[in-house]
Amino acid sequence: MLIVDDHASFRSLARRLLMADGFDVVGEAGDAADAFDAVRTLAPDVVLLDIRLPDLDGFGVAEVLAGDDGVYGAPTVVLVSSRARDDYGRRVDASPARGFIAKDDLSGDALRRVLGDP
Amino acid sequence: MSPRREAVTTWATALAAVLAGAAAAGALVRGGYEVPAELVAPTLVLNLAVGWSFIGVGLAARRRRPGNRTGVLMVLLGFAWLARFLVAVDTTPAFVLGVLLSSVSLSLFVHLLVTFPTGRTGSPGQRAIVVVGYLLSAPLDAVFLALGAQRGRGEGPPPNGLLITPASGEFSPEPVDLVVQAVVVVLFVSVLVSIWTRWCAAGAAARRALTPGLVGGTVVVATLLVQRTAILLFLPPSAGVVLAWSAQVVLVVWPVALLLGLLRGRLDRSGVGRLVVDLGVGSAAPAHLRAVVARALHDPTADIAYRVPGTDTYVDAAGRPADVTPCGDRAVTHLERDGEPVAVLRYDPVLTEEPDLVEAVAAGAGLAVENERLHAEVREQLAEVRASRTRLVEAADAGRRRVERDLHDGAQQRLVAVGLALRLARARLASPAEELDALLVEAGEELTAALAELRELARGIYPALLTDAGLGPALASLAERAPVPVVLEGVPPQRPPEPVEQTCYFVVSEAVTNAAKHASASRVEVSVVPDGGELRVEVADDGVGGADAEGSGLRGLADRVAAVGGQLLVSSPARGGTRVTATLPCG
Repeated sequence: MLIVDDHASFRSLARRLLMADGFDVVGEAGDAADAFDAVRTLAPDVVLLDIRLPDLDGFGVAEVLAGDDGVYGAPTVVLVSSRARDDYGRRVDASPARGFIAKDDLSGDALRRVLGDP
Repeated sequence: MSPRREAVTTWATALAAVLAGAAAAGALVRGGYEVPAELVAPTLVLNLAVGWSFIGVGLAARRRRPGNRTGVLMVLLGFAWLARFLVAVDTTPAFVLGVLLSSVSLSLFVHLLVTFPTGRTGSPGQRAIVVVGYLLSAPLDAVFLALGAQRGRGEGPPPNGLLITPASGEFSPEPVDLVVQAVVVVLFVSVLVSIWTRWCAAGAAARRALTPGLVGGTVVVATLLVQRTAILLFLPPSAGVVLAWSAQVVLVVWPVALLLGLLRGRLDRSGVGRLVVDLGVGSAAPAHLRAVVARALHDPTADIAYRVPGTDTYVDAAGRPADVTPCGDRAVTHLERDGEPVAVLRYDPVLTEEPDLVEAVAAGAGLAVENERLHAEVREQLAEVRASRTRLVEAADAGRRRVERDLHDGAQQRLVAVGLALRLARARLASPAEELDALLVEAGEELTAALAELRELARGIYPALLTDAGLGPALASLAERAPVPVVLEGVPPQRPPEPVEQTCYFVVSEAVTNAAKHASASRVEVSVVPDGGELRVEVADDGVGGADAEGSGLRGLADRVAAVGGQLLVSSPARGGTRVTATLPCG
């Protein structure tokens, strides 16, 4: 799994929390550009992607990662935000991302539910 | 002349006219000649009517238009007309004097007609006609008297020329008579040509004054002309009787026509009320104003030129440059407001004879111009208020967006981190104490930072210190927290009204933020000093200058200052620092 968020404290806590819940976090990225590099080099299965990033927003990053040119291997994208899902209207549903988790609800169980694992 | 002296002169002249009339009547009845009884009454009535009509109307004209010579000429004509009766006194001196004065009235008539309505000759041609007119009366009669004192004395019933009857006896004009009559005819034709040429050349405004007098005068001259031509053409003199009577009847009413022409402007002034009403109901457009003014002045050529504010140039209604120096065919009256010229009224110079009318129309037009100017000013202010209202709403929206973003990026992220840290700590309750302690410390630090950010944000929304303690402590706190050194030079001891206090604080806050953020200033000086009924706020930095006063930040500040009736000035020369000055009325 790759964690993409511009707040270092969130990335650090999320990594520890998810690793404690049994996920294998292979890397972190602070913005969209770093995220694309990391996906190419680390080829994560899942990308935990903050919607608000300093360069491109999470929806845009999800579109690129889902591109059918196969550059990024189409990882499963889960969007996170400190805002509520309702604040984004239908944009979450319309994006290629698998699902959405509010940052304060983040846990291994929540992530598994979104990923559809038992 | 003083009004009292003028009144005395008028009454004395009127009395003289009455006496002259009585004398004329006496001369005709008791002069010594045998006058046919049936002719006495009509002759007296008609001649007294002509004489008194000229004198009476002449006095009225002189009273109304003291600077105009027409009135004097009319009075003289009236007396000259009555003086003709001297010839009815059967003594030699009376006869000589009577003959000499017999045609003076006709000369005065020519003078009056050619120079109407001013009474002054305007061209060499006019002057020539007037001079010839006078030469043909007393001087010519004097020559005839010197050559043969008996000329004319046997012709017709005495007293010669006063009674209108067919000439008795043989009608045999002498060659010299024919020459004189021919000259008289030429003179009358010249008079007609002169006055009608003048009428054709005159503008509409001048024609209004000329027409009644010229039409009446033309009838008189035409009648005399036919009468004289009849003699010249050897027509039977009986035809002349009717013409002579008609000419005298016209002469009775002609003075009234002259007076009408002279006082036309006075009558026109009643139209000024209409002007004000017309200006009120119509649009304030220059074309409408021009039309209304031209109608009130009865001068279709009249127009208005507007002064370009702050310059000495004028433009017409279409915006073309306009020449406003008075010249031969254009008179000019300035429309002023508070001593400042705002426009000029241009019109036919003949209207300078009607200063009251022009003045009244100019006053009405001045009101309309001023009204239009005020309208334009109000429209401009309204447009500015609308624009600033829009900008204030936009600024408020931008402010809310900024608060949302600040909350999301700051405190919210930190609180999320606290939540995650606590969740992680709970999952690791069984872990070593150091690990748990580190997690709780991390959560605590995030919480402290979140609180600090919330506090800063709240202060940005509205400084509680300003409400609680006033401008001094609030500005002092602002200076302490500023990222650049801020020197607070003066703060008023008394608290100004709340809106002024708030505006003052935000001017300083915004200017200090700009100085630190955009101007790379190393020092900012702030002073807030009462100045009369105003509060003068100055923020000066030593930064790079070149601030854009029309940029959104300073524009928003200017709107805020304008909302409390104040004014914001920004001086920011390149590399010369920035000085923001706000004057805020405290009343």
